[in-house]
Amino acid sequence: MKVILQSVTVIDPTSAHHLKVVDIFIQDNLIKEIGKKLSVAGAKTLDCKGQYVSIGWIDLHVNFCDPGFETKEDILSGLNAAAKGGFVGVALMPNTQPALKSKSEIEYIKNKSINHAVNIYPIGCLSANREGKDLAEMYDMKLAGAKAFSDGNAAVQDAGLMSRAMLYAKGIDSLIISKPEDKNIAQNAQMNEGQTSTLLGMKGNPSLAEELMVSRDIFLAEYQDAKVHFTCITAAKSVELIKAAKKKGLKVTADVSVNHLYFDDTMLESFDTNFKLSPPLRTKEDIKALKQGLKEGSIDAICSQHTPEDIEHKQVEFEYAKEGMIGLQTAFSLALMTLEKQMDLSDIIAKFTIAPRAILGLPAQSIAVNQMASLTLFDPAATWKFQPSDNASKSKNTALFNQALKGKVISIINNHQLK
Amino acid sequence: MQNLSVRHLLGIKGLTQHDIKLIFETADNFKTVINRPIKKVPSLRDTTIANIFFENSTRTKLSFELAQKRLSADVVNFSAASSSVSKGETLIDTVNNILAMKVDMVVMRHPNPGAALFLAKHIHVPIINAGDGAHEHPTQALLDAFSIREKLGDVKGKKVVIVGDIMHSRVALSNILCLKLLGAEVKVCGPTTLIPKYIESLGVTVEHDLRKALAWCDVANMLRIQLERQDIKYFPSLREYTMMHGLTKSLLDSLPKEIVVMHPGPINRGVEISSDVADAKQSIILDQVENGVAIRMAVLYLLAGQQGA
Repeated sequence: MKVILQSVTVIDPTSAHHLKVVDIFIQDNLIKEIGKKLSVAGAKTLDCKGQYVSIGWIDLHVNFCDPGFETKEDILSGLNAAAKGGFVGVALMPNTQPALKSKSEIEYIKNKSINHAVNIYPIGCLSANREGKDLAEMYDMKLAGAKAFSDGNAAVQDAGLMSRAMLYAKGIDSLIISKPEDKNIAQNAQMNEGQTSTLLGMKGNPSLAEELMVSRDIFLAEYQDAKVHFTCITAAKSVELIKAAKKKGLKVTADVSVNHLYFDDTMLESFDTNFKLSPPLRTKEDIKALKQGLKEGSIDAICSQHTPEDIEHKQVEFEYAKEGMIGLQTAFSLALMTLEKQMDLSDIIAKFTIAPRAILGLPAQSIAVNQMASLTLFDPAATWKFQPSDNASKSKNTALFNQALKGKVISIINNHQLK
Repeated sequence: MQNLSVRHLLGIKGLTQHDIKLIFETADNFKTVINRPIKKVPSLRDTTIANIFFENSTRTKLSFELAQKRLSADVVNFSAASSSVSKGETLIDTVNNILAMKVDMVVMRHPNPGAALFLAKHIHVPIINAGDGAHEHPTQALLDAFSIREKLGDVKGKKVVIVGDIMHSRVALSNILCLKLLGAEVKVCGPTTLIPKYIESLGVTVEHDLRKALAWCDVANMLRIQLERQDIKYFPSLREYTMMHGLTKSLLDSLPKEIVVMHPGPINRGVEISSDVADAKQSIILDQVENGVAIRMAVLYLLAGQQGA
C-alpha cells in the first residue's frame, strides 16, 4: 500500500507537525515521509484539504454479540462499523454467550478479526463464567490476547471477589475494568431516578447505585495498590470521587460513553426504547459534571458503548426492551457536538487516542517518520446524516438515523489498509 | 360537536383544561342518561370496541363495558392474566390480530408504564389507557375530579390529599396531574418509603403525618395498598401501616371540619380506611363508581366522534 495524504492538518500534540498542514506518505504500515508537495510514483494520492489526521482512535467499550447473538452483530460487522466510525482498535466487552471466559473464547475473537483493518482487544471475564463467584483464568486469557478483565454488565457485587481480582490482575500486570452498579440499590429499575421517572411512573435507578460502587472500587484499588478503570461513568458524584482518587495518586482511570454525554433522561419521556441504556441516561447536571470531568482530566477517555440489539428486543414494551444503542459510527460526531464549546479539538481527540492507549497499555504513537501508520482521517466541520444505508452494524437500534450530525470520519489507515 | 385535542386517551399528560371541561360536560349529559329508566343511547351503534386487559381488573373493566353497552357499542373482551410476551406473542401482534377482526377502538390495561403510548405509535385506532403500570390511569383521575366537582362545586382552589402508596400508584400520578391542571392544591401522604424522592417536582407537597394532612385538606383520596406491585417490603406490616396511615372514624370526627373521603376501590376495609368511614356520609366512594361509567361514556363518545370527523 502506498498512499499520500495531501494537505492534511495534523492533530497530534506529541508530533512536531501538530496543527500543521502537510503531506504524509504512507507505505504499508509505516509513515515514510512528512513534508510539502510530496510525490511518489505509484502512490494513491488523497486530497485532504480541510481534513484532519490523528493517530488512530481506540474505543474502550464495544459489544459485538459474537459468540451467541450473531444476528445482532458479529465480529466482522462490528469491526466494519468501527472502521466507519474512525476506530483502528476496539476493546470488546465479554457480554457474550458464552462469555469471553477462557483462552478458547479469546482466541476465537482474535482469529475472527485477523487481517481486518481494525484491531480487536478482547476483555476477558474477571470471574469464572461471569458468575461473580470465583476468579477466571486471567493469566491464560492474557497470554491468548486479553487486554483487561471485567464482568461487563454483570457488575461484581461481591467486594471480596473484586478485591482479589484487582490483586490478581496486578500480579499479572493487567487491568480490571469496572462498570459500577450496586444491584441492590439499582433494583432492576429501568431508568434514572429523578423528575422524569416520577413523571413517567417508572421505578428509578438512582445514581447512588453507581457512586457506591465507584467508592468501593476506589477503596479496594487503594488497599491493593492496584489499577482499576471505570467504564461508562454517568453521575456527577462519580466524577468527584474519581477526581479525589486521582488527586491522591491512586491508579484510577475512567471513561464515559458518548450517549451519557449527549442525551439526558428526558429523552425517555416518549418511552423510546433506543434510550433505554445501562447505566441509564442521567440528568443535565450530570452531563455538565461529566464534561467538566473530561476537561479537567478526571475522566480520561470517551467510548461509544456500541451495544447492538435486534428489533425483537427493542420494538416492545419499555420494560421488556433490552438496554443499549449502537454507536460506533456516530460516536465522534456526538462527542464533537457536545464538547466543542468547552474543549479544543486536540483535547477531544486525545480522549479517543492517547488516553485509551495508555489505559489498555498499548504502545504510544505519534505522527512522525518511521512511526506505525495507524491513523484516523476526519473532517470536524463536515455535516452529514447517518442514513440507514450507511449503517455497517447488523442492528438498527439508534435514535440517530437521519439526524443532522457534525464531524465526519473520512477513513482509517491501519494494518496496511486504507478503509 | 367539539373536539378533544388528542386522538387517544393515553394519560392526563397531553390533555388541556379545555379537554377536561369538555369531558366533564359530556359526562354530565351521560350521567342524566344513565339515571333514566331507559339507560341506553345509540351513539356508538356499529362501533366495535375491544377491552384488552393484560392485568386483572374487576371494576374498571366492568365500568368500561357498561359505558360501552350504554352507548350501544359492540364489545369484545380479551384478558390475559399474564403478559402476551410470556406466551410468546408480542403486544403489537396481539393487538393487530384483534384489529384484523375490524375493531374500531381499543381500551387497554397493561402492567408496564408506557405500554399504551407504545401501542399508539404502532396501531391506527384510538386507544384508551385503562392503566399502564404505575404510570397513568386517566379515566380514574377524570372521574375522581368529576366527583369532587360534583360534591364541592369546583375543583379549582380545593385542597386534596392523596394518601397511601404513592410510588406504585398510577391513580396517584394521574390524579396529581389532573388536579394540578384544574387548579387544586395537592398534598401526598404516606410512609416515607412509598413516596418517590422527586415527587415535589410535580408541584405537590409531602406530609407524613396523616392527622396534619387531613386537617389541611378538603378532600382525602385514600389509595389502596397494592401489595401485588411491591417487589420488596417497603413497610414492616399492614398492621403498622394502618396504625400510621389508616383512616378511622374517630380520626375523621376529630378533624376541625368535615372533609370528603374518596377511594378508587377496591377497598381493603380496616386497612386504609375503616368500615365505618367507608360507609360514612362524607364518603363519596359509590358516587365515584357511578361517575366512572359517565366519564368513560364521555371519553368513548368523544374519541369515537373524532375518528369519524
